[in-house]
Order: sequence, then C-alpha cells, then structure tokens
Amino acid sequence: MSFKILQPALEHGLAARVGRLAAANRTPIDTPTFVGVTSRGAIPHLTPDVISKHTDIRVAYMALEDFTEKSSKRKSPAIFSQPEDVCRPLHAYTATPSSTYTILAPRRTPAVVAPNGNGPKHISVLTSTGFERLTCENYCTAIKQIMPDIVVAPADLTFSSATPGAKRQVFMVQRTQEWLDEFFLHLDSEKTLKPSGIHVFAPLLPISYPMQWKYLNHLSEVHAARLNGLTLYDAKILHDLKNHPQLLDLPRLSMDSPESPQQILQQVRLGVDIFATPLVNNISDAGVALNFSFPPPAAGSSGIQPLGIDMSSEEHQVSVTPFMEGCGCYACTKHHRAYLQHLMNAREMLGWTLLQIHNHHVMSEFFRHIRLAIADGTFEQKAGEFTKYYESEFPLGTGVRPRARGYHFKPEAGQPRINKAPWSKLEGEGTPDQVAAAEAAGLVVTGPAAGGSETPLVPDADTAALVREGFAKVDGV
Amino acid sequence: MAATIASQSSAALTFDLVARCSVTRARASCLTLPHGPVQLPMFMPVATQASLKGLTPEQLEETGCRLCLNNTYHLGLKPGQEVLAAIGGAHKLQGWQHNLLTDSGGYELVLGAFSPLLPGHLLQQLTKYLQLSDEHSISLQNTIGSDIMMQLDDVLVTTSPGCSSHARGYAAKHTQNLFCIIQGGLDLEMRRECCEEMVARNTPGIAIGGLSGGEAKADYCRVVATCTELLPELKPRYVMGIGYPEDLVVSVALGADMFDCVWPTRTARFGNAVTKYGVLNVKNAKFGVDFGPIEEGCGCICCRKGDGGLGITRAFVHHNIAKETVSAHLLTLHNVWYQLNLMREVRDAIIADRYPAFIRQFFANLYPNKGDYPEWAMGALHGVGVDLLEDET
Repeated sequence: MSFKILQPALEHGLAARVGRLAAANRTPIDTPTFVGVTSRGAIPHLTPDVISKHTDIRVAYMALEDFTEKSSKRKSPAIFSQPEDVCRPLHAYTATPSSTYTILAPRRTPAVVAPNGNGPKHISVLTSTGFERLTCENYCTAIKQIMPDIVVAPADLTFSSATPGAKRQVFMVQRTQEWLDEFFLHLDSEKTLKPSGIHVFAPLLPISYPMQWKYLNHLSEVHAARLNGLTLYDAKILHDLKNHPQLLDLPRLSMDSPESPQQILQQVRLGVDIFATPLVNNISDAGVALNFSFPPPAAGSSGIQPLGIDMSSEEHQVSVTPFMEGCGCYACTKHHRAYLQHLMNAREMLGWTLLQIHNHHVMSEFFRHIRLAIADGTFEQKAGEFTKYYESEFPLGTGVRPRARGYHFKPEAGQPRINKAPWSKLEGEGTPDQVAAAEAAGLVVTGPAAGGSETPLVPDADTAALVREGFAKVDGV
Repeated sequence: MAATIASQSSAALTFDLVARCSVTRARASCLTLPHGPVQLPMFMPVATQASLKGLTPEQLEETGCRLCLNNTYHLGLKPGQEVLAAIGGAHKLQGWQHNLLTDSGGYELVLGAFSPLLPGHLLQQLTKYLQLSDEHSISLQNTIGSDIMMQLDDVLVTTSPGCSSHARGYAAKHTQNLFCIIQGGLDLEMRRECCEEMVARNTPGIAIGGLSGGEAKADYCRVVATCTELLPELKPRYVMGIGYPEDLVVSVALGADMFDCVWPTRTARFGNAVTKYGVLNVKNAKFGVDFGPIEEGCGCICCRKGDGGLGITRAFVHHNIAKETVSAHLLTLHNVWYQLNLMREVRDAIIADRYPAFIRQFFANLYPNKGDYPEWAMGALHGVGVDLLEDET
C-alpha cells in the first residue's frame, strides 16, 4: 500500500493535508475522506447494489466481533468456513464489491463498554451472543483467514467516556505495546502480510502524550517499517507526532468520533486523513437529513443555519422539494420531503434507506470540497466561514429509530428503555394517543413489527402462514 | 412478440389477448393501463404504505415490476387524503412511474373488527376515526390516482350486489379503471349470480374476491373455475390475495390473470426465501455455512453472478436475519423477482402452448415425490384437462 501526500502540510505534518492511498488491485482513494461504518458487515439499511449505484463509499469499516458469535450449531464462526477458492474472504462473506477497501478492527464503533474490561492477554468483545475474549493470537489467526485490506492492530481501550485512571493508563500502554510486538510475531510482515495484501495501522491511545511517548518511540524504532498507517483514538495526539518523524508520513485513521462537521474540520486541521465515524448512520437512524455544504453558501441574512433537518416533522407533509436544496443524490432527485416524512411517520424501512443515501452523499461532497480547499490553500478561510454559518450541533430527530439490538448497546442501570414497547395499556396513567395505540395493537402493523423482529399483539400472519412458517419452532430443529 | 388475437378497450384500459392455452383455460395477454403496458398473467407485489418494504422504487422497477399495489385504508390513515391531494396522488408521493392498483380498503376494516384481541371500545374509536363508506373509498382512490381501483365490496354479507351508483359514477374515468369484485363466499350458486350481476355492470376488469381467507384449496379452485367460466374473455380477471407459487400456477390454468399478495415480501422479512424447489427458511442454522446463492440459477440481482449481480450468499443473509434490515431487503428483492419471473415463465409457456408441460415440471420441482402432490391441485388441474401424474413424452 502506498500513501502519497499530495499537498504536504506546512510544518511537521501538523496541518490539513491532501493524500492518495493506493493498494494493489484497488482504485486509489483521495484523502481526507470518510469510511462507511458497517454493522455486521452491512452498511445499515443499504443493500450492496444501492451502495454501488448511489453512494461513493469506497472504504468499509468492519468489526471482527460482528462475525464471531458462538453457536451450538457449529464449531467455528461461519466466516472462517468459506470455500478455499475465495480470494478475499471478508469481501466475499459480506458481498463487498472488490473496488471497496475493507478495514478490520476488533470492535465496532461505537463499541459497547465491556463490564469486565480487557485482560493482560485479551480484549473483551461483544458478539450477538454475549461477551467473548479475543486474544492477540486469535485476532491474528482471523486476519490471516479473512484477509481485510487494512487491519487495526489490537489496543487496550476502555471505550468508556471517562478518562481512565493513571494506573489503568500505564496498563493500556504496556499491553498495547506487548500486543503489537506479539501481533508481528504471529503475522510476519514479509511472509504473510505483504503477500496477502494486508496493511497494518497501529493504534495510538486516547491518553496524554507524556503517558505514551515511550510507546510512540517503540513504534518509530521497532515497527515503523512494517506499519502502513496509524489509528488515532484521540486526534489530539497529532500535536505531538512531530517528535516522531518516522511516523509522520503514515496515513492517519481517526476513530476519535467527531460529532459534527465542525469537529471533522478541526481534526482535518490536525492532519487526520481518514475518518471512521458512526456519525452518518446515527443521523440517519434519528430521521435527520444532513443539510450543509462546504464551503457554506454565500451568507444570507437569515442567521445561523441548522446542520440537518428533522424529516419526521409534520412541516414537510406536503413539501415536494428535495431533502436538501440543490443536492444531486438519488434520494433528492427522485423523491421529496413529503415522501420521506410519510415513510418516517409510517415507520417504513425505506425512510432510513433514503436518508442513508442522502447523508452519505452529503458527507462525500463535504470531503471532496475539503480536499479541493486544502489543495488551493483556502481551507482555513472556508472552515472559518463554515463554523460561522452553521449551528454547532445537529437538530434532534423526533422520529422512531430502528429497533436497537443487543450488539448495538448495553443499557446501564436506571436508563430508560431504548426500544419503545410496541404496545401498552390503554387505561391508566400515561395513556398514549388512542389511535397510536390502536395501530400499535396490530391494526396497522408496520415498521419493526412488520420486519418480523418483534411480536405484535395481533399476529402479523394468519394461521396458515404461522403453520407454514413453523410457529414457535426452534431454529434449526 | 406474439400477435394479438383479439382486443377490447375502454376509456383507460386496453386488453389484448395474445395466446390461449389449447388445453387449460390459461391465457396470455397484454393490458395497457394509463401508466404503460403490463403483461398478463402477472403477480403484483404489495407496497401497502406506498413503499415496498425497504426497496427503493428503482429496485422494484429493476425486478421488472410495472404494476404494484397500494392500500387505500393505510394511505387514508397515513399520509391521509388531504396530503395526497396536495401532492397530486400516490404516484407522485412515492416516485413511481408505473401503474398502481388500490384495493377498496374494506377488507382491512373487517380484519381489524374481527381481531379477537381488539377490545370493543377500541373498535368504536377506530370506526369513528375512519368510517369507510363506499363514497369515501372511491373518493380516496380518486385522490390516490391509482390506475386500477376496486369497488368497496362487502366481504361478510357475501351476496352484496356491491358496485353502487357512487362507484359507477366515479370521477376520473379517463385515467382510472374501476374493477368490480365478485363475492359469494364458497357458495357456487351465489358466485354465479354475482358473476351475472357484475358482468352486466361492464367494468373494464373483474376481480374475484372473498378468497384467500383460509378456505380449503379445493373450494378455492372450485370458486375460481366457476367464475372464470362465466366471465367475458376480453377482460382481465384478478383473483385477490393470492400469492403462493402453486396457487398462481393452478389459478392461471383455471383462467385467472392477475394476483396480489403480501406473502412473498412478508415471508422475506421472516427470513424465508421462495425458490422453485420450495421455501427455504434461511434462519435455519445449516444456511449459516452455505456459501451458495439464495437460489442456484436464479436471475435476481442478489443471486446473479457477474453482470451487476451482487454475489449474495445464504450465509450472509443468515448472518443478518432479524439483525440488520439489509437481509430483509435482500430476501425481499429475491422473492419479488422470483414471483415476477415465475409469471414471465408461465406467460412464455402459454404463448408457446406448452403450459401443461410447464405445470408438470413446476410441480415436479416442488415435490420430488409424486406421491406428495397436493390433492387439491391434482383435482383442479384435472378439471381443466391436465393430468399432473402423466409422464412427459
């Protein structure tokens, strides 16, 4: 894999830069860019044909924990049992087109915090059947078998919002360094990684530079030649990267999830090249259509503009305008706000699909213009205009989100339920709107219920269908 | 393209008969509707709330679909008649360039009313909320702007003459077609009487309703056969709510042309794939390590290899069933394609006048053992001159 910095940053790599990442047999990608974040190998709500036709997603982030659930039905996870003639098993299993790069990491983003934490020899990962231990060796074996294009080396991370204590931080550095050494023992750069077209991005930890400078030294001195990139869990570490010139020209993948385009601009300014951010999927699930462009339109008099539009709002009911004025995506050219509002209101799955198409398109355009602006030296000025023009946070979506799954999140004690009950009592306190309740009672069974994912009060099938489907039959018996 | 044998037109519909099976009552025809021609016999997928369960209208179009259903009752609730009127109808709402058919909306009210779990006071609330009169149903369907709309029939009082003056006096005659519905339950005498009444009304097409409600298949076939015998040849015949592949193949032999059912798309969301060898429950653990396509040799975008095919495996579908919506979308794509393709093959066989042989092959694929052939199918097909057990010569 080669990474060419087309527009070098001015001083020590500590500024926005334009680059081009290229691997054998894959079309090069220009950076800064963002990657599609998959859930269980699929970009949520998008089938592969829609991805190829209507999005510009060229890199897909996948988590090993999404593929390794234990099952009493088979010895090893299915992804490892593919026919031997499959040349890129991770691509093949997930039906990812060969033009797309895959990035594999142990954990999803965002990752669910493991209550027991990691051990000296393992990372705790969450599969759809529960927490498991992933050792460095197992991770390496999996990589060898499924052959992602890019792999994020294991790091000891807590994924908790609280900064870990000093003692924990010492462990984090120690373990991450040990695991990286072990990683390259299992996966020899010359014998295994290069011939298989697997590229390694080493993790930088989300702790202060003084706590991990020795680890960065170790990276520079021992591993620099084997590394193809760096993975940042806190982009601020870039401030101190100048002390490690061997690492400066490596592409930088940010897992420091920005929550707004302004935060993306901030990280671009620090020199981030690739963003793996769950932001887009989240915004789509919330029923919000992105509504910003870079640089912003010539300033009007109407004040600070919102970054997105809540498409569930009734104000769009009869609006036959595109989700975003002037947007060229499939959803905006073929459909309008009124349809999307109807789909959100009727809890039809197509609503999320159209939002994903649109939101990924807006994001691709955002990054394309960022690259142009860096190249012609106007990035700082335009980024400043952007910050002035738009609100700093997304509006809240008022729509019903898709049903959350156990592998998406683990509720903490005392939190309200994330999935709304499909039905509730009519009488008594907090009686919901009667019509809504009637619908929930199964008269208009749609959305998640129709998705076969939950049991509505009135079965969604007639008796004949139930007999045919195998009513209450245990899977596989 | 086969030549037209005979045709008949009304204001917004032309029916061109293209071929007759020389043995059964099956026929192939071309129906020209306000939003373009469709080939009969055909299966129509159901986009209940103006969306075919997660597929984009473009994906639906790519399966070959040119006529799909919307549900009047659901569209009347959401987005509602006012919104539909403001947008300019359901085609504009969902960005669908092709034909739409809407049912009357009566059936859903009956479904709701007879749900054993529905408390009485809730029913009252509902009825207040959406009182569906004949007039209202037609007015709603006018606003929706469907190419084919259905009269409000009375599913329960099965002798209802239906098709009232409102229905006959509907507004958009030149852009919409109103089909009448033959009722009469399983009583063949009532059905005959109703057929006579309905034929006299001279609607552009005729539907056979009140079936697919859990009746015995043999009874179903008797009703369809009785009705088709009495219906004029040059009008499309639509049997409502039918979608299992066997039912389609037999019903075509009995002389029916159009069918709709939520089953193929609903069963997709339950993790089931419809194939020519039967329905596969892809949730079953054995498919977790099955790296073949959903159906070997299938031409749908999921199963096709190369040429824009996606190379989806059963293993990947299994991996995400009930976990990511993408699996439901993939199976929906496959199942809709299967149903439409089945009808394309049926049509080709009728035009080539080899439909009886097609039926035999179809059942042989589904049932490796002739002893398992369903009695009802053998009986019904026997009635139209096809012996399922006969060997191909």
